[in-house]
Amino acid sequence: MHEYALGVDVGGTFTDVVLSGGNGVAAVAKVLSTHHDPAEGVLDGVRRVLAAASAAPGEVGRVVHATTLATNAVLERRGVRVAFVTTLGFGDLLPLGRYARVEEDRYDLRFDPPAPPVAREDCFEVPERVDASGRVLRAVDPDDVRRIAREIAARGVEAVAVCLLHAYANPAHETVVARVLREELGPEVTVVTGSDVWPEVREYERATTTLMSAYVGPVMEAYLGGLSARLRAVGITPRVQVMESGGGVMSAELAGRRAVATIESGPAAGALAAAEAGRQAGFADVISFDMGGTTAKVCVIQGGRPRITHEFHVGGKGSFGGRRAGTGVPIKTPAIDLAEVGAGGGSVAWVDDGGTLKVGPRSAGSSPGPACYGLGGGEPTVTDANLVLGYLAEEGFAGGSMRLDRLLAEKAVDRLAAPLGVGREDAAHAVHEIANAAMGSAVHVVTVQRGIDPRGFAMVAFGGAGPAHAARVAERFGIGTVIVPPSCGVGSAVGLLATDLSTDRVRTRPSAEPDPAVFEELAAEGAADLEAPPSEAIVERSLDLRFRGQAHEITVPYGEGPGEDFREEFFRLYEQVYGIRQRGPTEVVSYRVRVTRPVDKPPQKAPASAAPGPPGRRRAWFPETGGHTEVPVHRRAGLGRVTGPAIVADAESTIVVPPGWDAAADENGNVVLARRA
Amino acid sequence: MSGDGGLTAEVLRHALVVAAEEASIVVVRSAYSTFIVEGSDASAAILDARGRLIAQSMATTLMNGMALSVALPHLLEEIPLAAMRPGDVYTLNDAYRGGVHTNDLLVYRPVFVAGEVAYFTATMIHVSDLGGLSAGGMAPLATEIFLEGLQLPPVRLATAEGIEPAIAAILRANSRTPDKVMGDVRALVAGTAVAAARLSALVETYGAAGLARGVEDYLDHTEARMRMALAALPDGTYTASYPIDDDGIHLDRAHVVRVAVTIAGEGVTVDFAGTDPQVPAAINASVSQSLAAAVFAVRCFTDPAIPMNDGCLRALDVRLPPGSLLNATSPHPCGGRFVPIYAAMEAVFTALSDAVPSMAIAASGILQPFSIASVAPPYWIHLSYDFGGVGARHGKDGPDATGVHFGLGRNSVPQAEPVEARCPLIVESVSVIPDSGGPGRWRGGLGSRTVFRFLADACVTTRGDRLRLAPPGRAGGHPGRLGGFYRMTADGALERLPAKSNNVLFRAGEAFVVETTGGGGIGDPLDRPAPEILADLKAGKITRRAAQETYGLTLDTGAP
Repeated sequence: MHEYALGVDVGGTFTDVVLSGGNGVAAVAKVLSTHHDPAEGVLDGVRRVLAAASAAPGEVGRVVHATTLATNAVLERRGVRVAFVTTLGFGDLLPLGRYARVEEDRYDLRFDPPAPPVAREDCFEVPERVDASGRVLRAVDPDDVRRIAREIAARGVEAVAVCLLHAYANPAHETVVARVLREELGPEVTVVTGSDVWPEVREYERATTTLMSAYVGPVMEAYLGGLSARLRAVGITPRVQVMESGGGVMSAELAGRRAVATIESGPAAGALAAAEAGRQAGFADVISFDMGGTTAKVCVIQGGRPRITHEFHVGGKGSFGGRRAGTGVPIKTPAIDLAEVGAGGGSVAWVDDGGTLKVGPRSAGSSPGPACYGLGGGEPTVTDANLVLGYLAEEGFAGGSMRLDRLLAEKAVDRLAAPLGVGREDAAHAVHEIANAAMGSAVHVVTVQRGIDPRGFAMVAFGGAGPAHAARVAERFGIGTVIVPPSCGVGSAVGLLATDLSTDRVRTRPSAEPDPAVFEELAAEGAADLEAPPSEAIVERSLDLRFRGQAHEITVPYGEGPGEDFREEFFRLYEQVYGIRQRGPTEVVSYRVRVTRPVDKPPQKAPASAAPGPPGRRRAWFPETGGHTEVPVHRRAGLGRVTGPAIVADAESTIVVPPGWDAAADENGNVVLARRA
Repeated sequence: MSGDGGLTAEVLRHALVVAAEEASIVVVRSAYSTFIVEGSDASAAILDARGRLIAQSMATTLMNGMALSVALPHLLEEIPLAAMRPGDVYTLNDAYRGGVHTNDLLVYRPVFVAGEVAYFTATMIHVSDLGGLSAGGMAPLATEIFLEGLQLPPVRLATAEGIEPAIAAILRANSRTPDKVMGDVRALVAGTAVAAARLSALVETYGAAGLARGVEDYLDHTEARMRMALAALPDGTYTASYPIDDDGIHLDRAHVVRVAVTIAGEGVTVDFAGTDPQVPAAINASVSQSLAAAVFAVRCFTDPAIPMNDGCLRALDVRLPPGSLLNATSPHPCGGRFVPIYAAMEAVFTALSDAVPSMAIAASGILQPFSIASVAPPYWIHLSYDFGGVGARHGKDGPDATGVHFGLGRNSVPQAEPVEARCPLIVESVSVIPDSGGPGRWRGGLGSRTVFRFLADACVTTRGDRLRLAPPGRAGGHPGRLGGFYRMTADGALERLPAKSNNVLFRAGEAFVVETTGGGGIGDPLDRPAPEILADLKAGKITRRAAQETYGLTLDTGAP
């Protein structure tokens, strides 16, 4: 009998494993990630959850995996050596780059452009040309490709990315080039084409997307192949499924071919967990708020679904959630629309030359960590401030595995209080508030900046530090409900099990009117990748539309039912997003299709909990109470209705219920904070 | 600072920048002007009722930020605060009253607090067309501003009821692309509305007095940081000059910008006395643009993280002699203002490089704007620029083909595919030019070459500089290689165009070639270490011949 599903999230510090069965979460494990061989940590966690639940490996019917492997390969430049093949005249396309200079880069005479994602000497030009309509202006000569193949072979590269001009309009030349390269280079070399990975207009972003797919593909393939084999060796036989950036999952085989689609797999899983927690608590519109040690990630979920973006930047920077265009490597495949800011528990607080208090972006990390860890760090962090404020306790941090030192935290915070000329608690509270402001800016990016009014949303808080800050961040936006799900410390791994199989396709094909045949082709390709019979494939279509003469498009759903008018929807969205009521001739630029194959999912419930104990008490500092005040500390298990100021603590996290807020547990094990009217 | 450790100021700083940022996003994504939609960003700023710059969007160049700031008091002279009503929007493009040139529309929306105007939100872009000698707003051979396009004094552009029909009619009548220009105007107006809504929300959150105090704190804080950074520079007076190739009409006569930068404690005076007089040609600049150049250049020698607002300006005294190239009077054309202000920036860079040799930068190739347009209606136009190579920095090579002046990035250069989809041309290549970076211990950045092959007859307009007088190196470094604009005939022959040329007819089958100038080097190229020379050779940045002859590298036979 297959009654269990395994969710595995390999993160930078921890590998989280969740085993779920018919009654919800059966066991969770948090083990240190093993960077030299990530599968080792996974196997360790899997053994632990199976033992904890007394489950046999043969009872596992599904394995879903999220990993930062692809992201880290890009960020740390640990992918394979890739040769880039493009149209004659464009060999400098990637070396020259398309970076923006934002904020302080603007005034920095010593600014250096980001290093190109591929060395110039690994870029090759093929004589050939297709025009914007797909017409061949100069045919490709296979002999030219063979000559290039010989040069590539001499370099010892492991993968080739082929991206020719206008191949989105006519892939024939890319097909020829790829075929000849495969013939010449043999099966050991991965060959990826832009028309296969992401056939959308604009050569630079298509080239980086193709290049990144080639760059991380062999790494992912090797890792997933190894992991599958080792799971089989312990008796877990289902094919491993991998989370993709857009919130669906795909088979490990497909993840190898379309590796670029897995780059944001970890954060996407967290957003899905938040969507599911919101759904269970009766909220279809939620803001997912995940605050860890170094960063906080925020995502908007509307109608139970995370918002999707069609371009993100790996390794970007700037105030726009780390995704400001032009500051990283652009990836065009769909991804859950997240904003990420460098504010977490470990973020260091400091006073700048002008006497202003700042928090982050530098983090004390896990070594030496916040001052209160007592591992030798002396710099004040958000965690130190939270300890000084009494939001955290010295005992019971990180599941009781670590004791925090209040004196060290106080000493560190005093380093801020002196130059600011304020008291210790005022300084600590300012650090807490600045961290909240930074996270507020991430909320702002994904709501207000997208034309979404955050009032009326609930916030779902998870990650080690999220529940201590969530209510205060929510207040800034007039959000009156905060949901802290059970297993919030391993939220992303839980989210993996709330997923369906899905894949995305795009094609740029400019025209005045949409051509339904393009949708059919894309849907058929997607369904084939998922091995889904037509009856099981759910197909969602959308169009990138713009007013004729403009250069930027808006993606609008394309329904086939009666009365569905994509143009009316476009006019409505245009007004909503830009505040301009306008009508006029429109043009279609690209077609998008998402194909989903539903999967049976276990309920997302907490394991049965221990009996409640009596509340403790401790002093915590709130501006509303005029400073330190004695507050109750409740255990999460068996929580009744409590009135803030109060603290709710369990092994996984500490929830701060500020003055003006109430908290209560619901039947699914969520703690729900509500702001009093 | 207020008693909360600057907390409110810091939070407000984020919120105000975000408000401006949102406005710029709306403008970029809903505009029609080809100049901005495929490349450059829109500018957006928040000012107070006195015209002080409080915040600007992150992509706003200082040129545009200064224009919005300098022009606002002129607007208020014509239309007093008391005459403004909620929902009103105002515009101008008058170069002699803070504007830039006729194609850049400055748009302002007053933000009311308790019934009075307290702030303005402002946006500006280069609109698709407002008349003048050539489509898209470049008139490199204009001898009077009247040839550059429609001039707009400060006027009310819109009320709560919508855009003023009379103004719309005037704009439409003066544009080759009336629908697009009105699309741009709607985008600009919408941008100011978005930022105004954000600002009103901040007033609600912090209260009118709280916001005002937060703004003062934030400006004071910026001033303090700026003064501290200036105090770190060595006191003294440093002089320099930089030439402009020619005015486009008399091709053998250079015009010179001269500067004396005096650092005295926490203040800096930038005095352009001695700069050559304005000319009846398009190489003059308006006050706001020259001010921006001076401020930008000085800022490049301070902490780059200092926010850009009025507080930053207080420590700087910029003197622009009236009637000079940097402070033009009517009717001297101002459309080519980047030419004199880039010379002004380079002169300040040179002076401060002498003051702080560890921060020195050699002169750079600059952006080379051009337009390609249909010869007759219906109008299509491609208006763009390519960047020259940046000068070497002490301790570092110069970046290739990017904008050092005003800190522009290569994301403002359009991609080939959308341009080919829109215009009857083929972009044949975009490449760097080997050996174009000035040799030196630290090499100048490379220039680029772009080739446009025409599928239909087209008119080409160019506006180049540093195409006759090469950007010099420093301390023994060599100058960058000169670029140029060329016609390539169907048989491959190259014919050099004047750097500033207007509506040159190209026939279908001919190609237009844009080569940009490389940056100057620093130090003797013979002192460049062999591994760096070999890396350049491998990356195709220098030729084998230059490696041997200029850098003195001994190559084994048979090496790459």
